Amino acid sequence: MHAETWHSAAPSLPLWQRVVQGAQRHLRSTVAVGVLMLVLLPFLWMLQMAFRPAGDALSLDLIFSPTLEAFTGLWQDNFARSFGNSLLVSVLSTGLSLLLGVPAAYALSRWRFKQRRQVALWVLCTRMAPPIAFTIPFFLAFRWLGLLDTVWALVLVYLTFNLAIVIWMMQGFFDAIPTALEEAAWMDGCGIWSAFWHVTLPLTRPGLVATAVLCFIFSWSDFFFALILTRTQAVTAPVAIVNFLQYDGWEWTKIAAAGTMVMLPVLLFTVLVRKYLVHGLTAGGVKD
Amino acid sequence: MPPTASIAPQALDTGPEQSLPLPGPTRGKHAETPATQRWQRASARAYGLGLAPALVVLAAITLLPLITLVVVSLTPLSLTDPAATFHFGQPAGNYAQLLQDQRFLDSLWVQAKLSSVGVLLQLLVGLGLALLLHSGSRLLAGLRTFFLIPMVLPPIVVALVWKIIYTPDISPLHALLEQWGWPVRSLIANPDTALWAIVVADVWQWFPFTMLMVLAQLQMVPRDPVDAARIDGANRWQVFVYIVLPYLQRTLVVCALFRLIDSFKAFPLLYVLTNGGPGTVTEVTNFYGFIQAFNFSYWGYGSAIAVVMLAIIFVLSALISRLGKANGERHAR
Repeated sequence: MHAETWHSAAPSLPLWQRVVQGAQRHLRSTVAVGVLMLVLLPFLWMLQMAFRPAGDALSLDLIFSPTLEAFTGLWQDNFARSFGNSLLVSVLSTGLSLLLGVPAAYALSRWRFKQRRQVALWVLCTRMAPPIAFTIPFFLAFRWLGLLDTVWALVLVYLTFNLAIVIWMMQGFFDAIPTALEEAAWMDGCGIWSAFWHVTLPLTRPGLVATAVLCFIFSWSDFFFALILTRTQAVTAPVAIVNFLQYDGWEWTKIAAAGTMVMLPVLLFTVLVRKYLVHGLTAGGVKD
Repeated sequence: MPPTASIAPQALDTGPEQSLPLPGPTRGKHAETPATQRWQRASARAYGLGLAPALVVLAAITLLPLITLVVVSLTPLSLTDPAATFHFGQPAGNYAQLLQDQRFLDSLWVQAKLSSVGVLLQLLVGLGLALLLHSGSRLLAGLRTFFLIPMVLPPIVVALVWKIIYTPDISPLHALLEQWGWPVRSLIANPDTALWAIVVADVWQWFPFTMLMVLAQLQMVPRDPVDAARIDGANRWQVFVYIVLPYLQRTLVVCALFRLIDSFKAFPLLYVLTNGGPGTVTEVTNFYGFIQAFNFSYWGYGSAIAVVMLAIIFVLSALISRLGKANGERHAR
């Protein structure tokens, strides 16, 4: 793929042109590295703040002895609990959306029925709707049911976006798998879902993992729903950070440490799924 | 099972955009024996069983709330007036009030400023960086991943990062400016700069989206016309404007619409950095709806605001869908 693009240097050029191109490429790399440093500076600043001793949080000099004080302090506060809540909600919501969404995606991929387009459009619409449109009805319903400030309320709300992502992503992965193998399994007497389970699903395992990771990231990163639907018991880590900012004075090293803890799982997971990132983010818009 | 091993990598590489012509279970047209018909009926039932739970749940968690939202928006329901749940005396009352509400109209204008300038800058920065990083060099390919960091950070962490930059007491930016003899007031407390400070943070967070999409599309630009133009004496700028840009045009439009729709959802940045202030200069429509519904507990009125936003977003989504269809398979992931 790369060989066909418009920047790659052709080896047949005269020497001086190759030298010029080499210089240009190094210039390009230098500029790129410079811009990257500039872009990441605000982010790196928060990161280094998390490792400073509390008394030294605001100093500008970059030579200090890193310490984990802020993290241990954070853990003794209630942060461990909200971190656990975040983990629980994200895992439950991801699991539930896969359970419901994967078979649905398979059916949408293999079964040509009349309303297929409408279903796809509906899935797209749920992704586009602003969260506030869902929050007010959910808030009223949960208030009435007494589910406010519970983990289950969040798990249910996160299905509104996760289910759409699972259906959209997995449908694409299933479309890419030829049906010949399933048909062979049918001939041997497998039912549709047993062929799905034994033949098709194992072939989409990388796609399944990527989808699960994206669901986890989206649930983990949510702030808006968690802010409104929780108070004290089911507070997730992003809301806990805001509570630090608003009520606990200005212990900046602790706040920076909390931010670091929240982004850590996301950054680790993103490395795993970066190939599928755009597809997940543009779910539903580009095709079908 | 030997075929598994040979198909798995291919399924990985081609990914979702390649849809194969699927013969599917309906292909037995030549021989409509009773056995095939039975099989077709059985398979339709099986697929229906797989699809139904997801659709039922999806209906319960998306359609039902949206109907509720529209119904609530027709009532004056609020915390202090819980009896008003089914009070449809003035169904259009909230909407009539919206037209009179200067704060709401202002919020639309703030939204328009934030969205238009923010999206435009994201496109420019994203396009520029994509052009910078598009080359065969392995170093540049490696750098791309790091440029994605702002986009994948949880939004609350992005807000925190910029809270640190914009709070004068702890900000390295303010400290440096002071050292150089240019002390600056807090950018987010100043009504003249607050919105633009938010725009900077928003562009920082979202330029990687455009960058990623453009980089993917640049791979599709064929080499031949570029070479031909070079031989005919076109300079870099001309090659870009007349040959490369037309290939990117639709990608850029799709990016713009996506980001435009998502810009209506911007919340954590505003909540953490300015809380809508100073005054109401950074209060976008989403934020105003949040305040009405959850600070003042005017649920009916808040719902009306949400319905207006839904209508705007629906129109924009229809545009995306149309463009995406016209674009067809040419689009990369």
